[in-house]
Amino acid sequence: MFSVILYGRNVSHGYNLHKRAAIGLNALAELMSDSDDEILFVDDNTPDDHPTFPEAIHDTLTDKAKSVMRILRVRPRHRLDARRHAHQAVLESQSRNVALRRSNPRNRWSCFATTDTLLVPRNEGRSLSDILDELPDGFYRTPRFDLPKTLWEAAFDRGDPNGNLAKLRHWPTRFHLDRPRDEAGAEFQVMLRDDLFAIHGFDEAMSSGGSSDSNLAARLALHRGAAGTLIDKVLGYRCDPGRAGTAKGMNDRDRVVDVVTTPYLPAQADRWGWPDLDIEEIRLDRGTSYERFFAGVGAAIEPARAPYDATSLESHLVHDLTYDLAHTLPFVCDQVLTYPKHSGVMFVGARADFLRRFSTAWRGMGFTGPILVPQECAGLPIDGQGVETGPFVELLRRAEIFIFEFGLATQREDEPVRTGRKITPPDDACLKVVESLFRRAAALEAETRPEGQGLPRRFIGVNVIYNYYWPLFTDHIGANITPFCSQVLAGDPRAVTPKKARFPRLRRRSMA
Amino acid sequence: MTRLSEAILETWRRAIDRLGSGCIQHLSEEEGGATALYLSARASARAGDLEKAAQQFAALAEIAPTLTAGLEGHGETADRLGQSALARAKYDVARRLRSEARRGAPDRPFVLRNRGPFPAEIAAYTSVLLSVKDRALPYVARGNALLAEGRARLALLDYGCALSLKPRHFEIAALKAEALVMLGRYEEALRAFDTALAARPNDAEIYSGRAIACLALGRLGAADADWRRQSELLPPERAAARACVSLRMADYEAALPLLQRALEKEPGDPYWRLYRLTSLRRLGRSVGQPELERMADVAWPGPLLALHAGHLSADEALTRADNQGRRAETLFQLGVIAWPRDRAEARRRWEEVAAETSPALIEHAAARHELARAGS
Repeated sequence: MFSVILYGRNVSHGYNLHKRAAIGLNALAELMSDSDDEILFVDDNTPDDHPTFPEAIHDTLTDKAKSVMRILRVRPRHRLDARRHAHQAVLESQSRNVALRRSNPRNRWSCFATTDTLLVPRNEGRSLSDILDELPDGFYRTPRFDLPKTLWEAAFDRGDPNGNLAKLRHWPTRFHLDRPRDEAGAEFQVMLRDDLFAIHGFDEAMSSGGSSDSNLAARLALHRGAAGTLIDKVLGYRCDPGRAGTAKGMNDRDRVVDVVTTPYLPAQADRWGWPDLDIEEIRLDRGTSYERFFAGVGAAIEPARAPYDATSLESHLVHDLTYDLAHTLPFVCDQVLTYPKHSGVMFVGARADFLRRFSTAWRGMGFTGPILVPQECAGLPIDGQGVETGPFVELLRRAEIFIFEFGLATQREDEPVRTGRKITPPDDACLKVVESLFRRAAALEAETRPEGQGLPRRFIGVNVIYNYYWPLFTDHIGANITPFCSQVLAGDPRAVTPKKARFPRLRRRSMA
Repeated sequence: MTRLSEAILETWRRAIDRLGSGCIQHLSEEEGGATALYLSARASARAGDLEKAAQQFAALAEIAPTLTAGLEGHGETADRLGQSALARAKYDVARRLRSEARRGAPDRPFVLRNRGPFPAEIAAYTSVLLSVKDRALPYVARGNALLAEGRARLALLDYGCALSLKPRHFEIAALKAEALVMLGRYEEALRAFDTALAARPNDAEIYSGRAIACLALGRLGAADADWRRQSELLPPERAAARACVSLRMADYEAALPLLQRALEKEPGDPYWRLYRLTSLRRLGRSVGQPELERMADVAWPGPLLALHAGHLSADEALTRADNQGRRAETLFQLGVIAWPRDRAEARRRWEEVAAETSPALIEHAAARHELARAGS
């Protein structure tokens, strides 16, 4: 019957966003009674190494919310076409159009809201699906009232959407909440999906800030005539973010509303919502990231026989490059899991057993892209499924993620680690190749990116903490802070430092 | 010298336009008791006198029971007075009336697909224009509401003001041209359409308007060229719109599959069934009795479907046609039914359509094409 379209990003936007969103998403799901109903959440511009926003809060969502939600992940790289708005964290119009284009065509209605909207049918026994089913074609609005922060933050249980909706049936009169928000986009709007397609969706020349709603409403009013009201059927409430940060980049009303003279946007008629882009769809009720992780890592390593193991950080062991593969592999998989499944990963390393196990995990996690192994890395098994080999310089342009593994080629899996093991000549030969290729990859990363890849590619370093390769890796890669035990660092290549600036940096390091 | 005189004339025209536009609210209030009562009730509600507003809206419902804005106003007032059941009833009636109002032909511009009256919109945009005079949108929106109500002269004033603010917005020039078509000023309309099309050569709806202006001026070939171009430009998913274009050219072979698709998408629209029946008849194909009898009981165009089924006589059908548009539809269908047995009768019916009705009607254009083909 209807698709609710929401958008957002997995970054900090107010300390209470997670609660507001869970309250809103769970309440919306409760109002859906038609099997085609859906919540489309466009996760826009979350960094590739983060999960999407709904995945990050999935444990606070009800089963119903998880079952009706489809997450469309718009990667940072997808936004390169929208260069005009490159500075914006989230592209409101584009996000909504991406979802609209991909919404269930069997649904007659499309609705747009913020994640913290609660809709309360005035007839308690009716779902929003029931209400919309009876509506004649048209364009409808209903006011949305603000809820003071304390009410929803302190009194709402995000796991009890029906209880929350019940509270909203008597709070408005008790606390005089029934004063509509009067800013742009403050109403809950219900539109025909066909109408939105006819007028070419939201204007993608608009930036974020709510005025794209006003622009759309002005255009729809031209297209279909005056909006009808749903005030007798359903009321909207919004959890006031209270002390959260303010929105940036609000549109100028003159520019977005008063210039409207036609419902249509012929300039974007063929490209609104990026119809040709293959957008990943993520579900919270099946094929979850945990399920993928378990399938991949579970296939690659056996469970440990001991409840825990010990390791040593003593300084004299800094030259010992042995590490526990079974312990490290889950942390490496953790770094790649959020990337697109068709990504190609370059593996440069010394340990053959690492590549074999990683390859099993990679396929098990559902990745379909190749594992690229440079032919310069002698001794690595290249006969595994999906493993491709070739000259380093050729593979460099195909890799979307890099893994550099600094282990000992001669280490056996059952060998104890960090006991003062020496580097043998064969180990040394392998490590020299890995180091050399690492330096070249980091230096050439920007100029060897695959076509359409505007952003830096991720470098994952294995066994690069508390040993000789730690400074090497962090000199070239702006790595995250990770505990020693994981053995793994990851980040983007640092911008190449001009020669003049190198000396003070070295001096600071030596002083430290 | 010529340029100077043109500039002076243009300035003068704009001044007249602005003056005229400012008078619209005054005219609206003068012209009908219903509109005035609606505005008064709305003012009472805004002032907080809900009891008085409720009485006024109730009185309004007596004299204008189909005025949806009035019903919605009554609903809101009742709701605020705690009379939720009454409010719901009023809102439901307003929604039902809106859904029953047939929208304009889907191949025509968006403005002409909407159906009035729009007193609330006109009042709202007039209020905006009292304080904001330098924005095009309120003029365009009010002009659209007026045009959709058939008040082309007032709409023309608004479009003139909007164009003086945004002379390079060719969509407004096209709207102005539509108002000129409605006023029967076809030569002027043609010039305005030409200007709009020079800037927007791929706008399907502008071709639709220019084709009608050409048809009205007797340039059937030019009209057909525009309709063919419109048909090329319309996206495949707008089957109903493309079907209407084909029907205007009396190209039933092209219209038939498109009507079938329109019917699949909107099975409840009796017009697609009627036009499909028309096409089948004109192509000499058989039509089953159940097909003929389906939807013959709807208020309109049910009588035309009943006419095809043989349940209604020509005179009865013409009696049921309660406005000029419906009369034209009836005459056209009488021609379609008569054609296989009495071509002179069919031609006579179509000549009546061509002589009496607006060239904007599908039936008018189709009748003109039928007559041209029949050699009349």
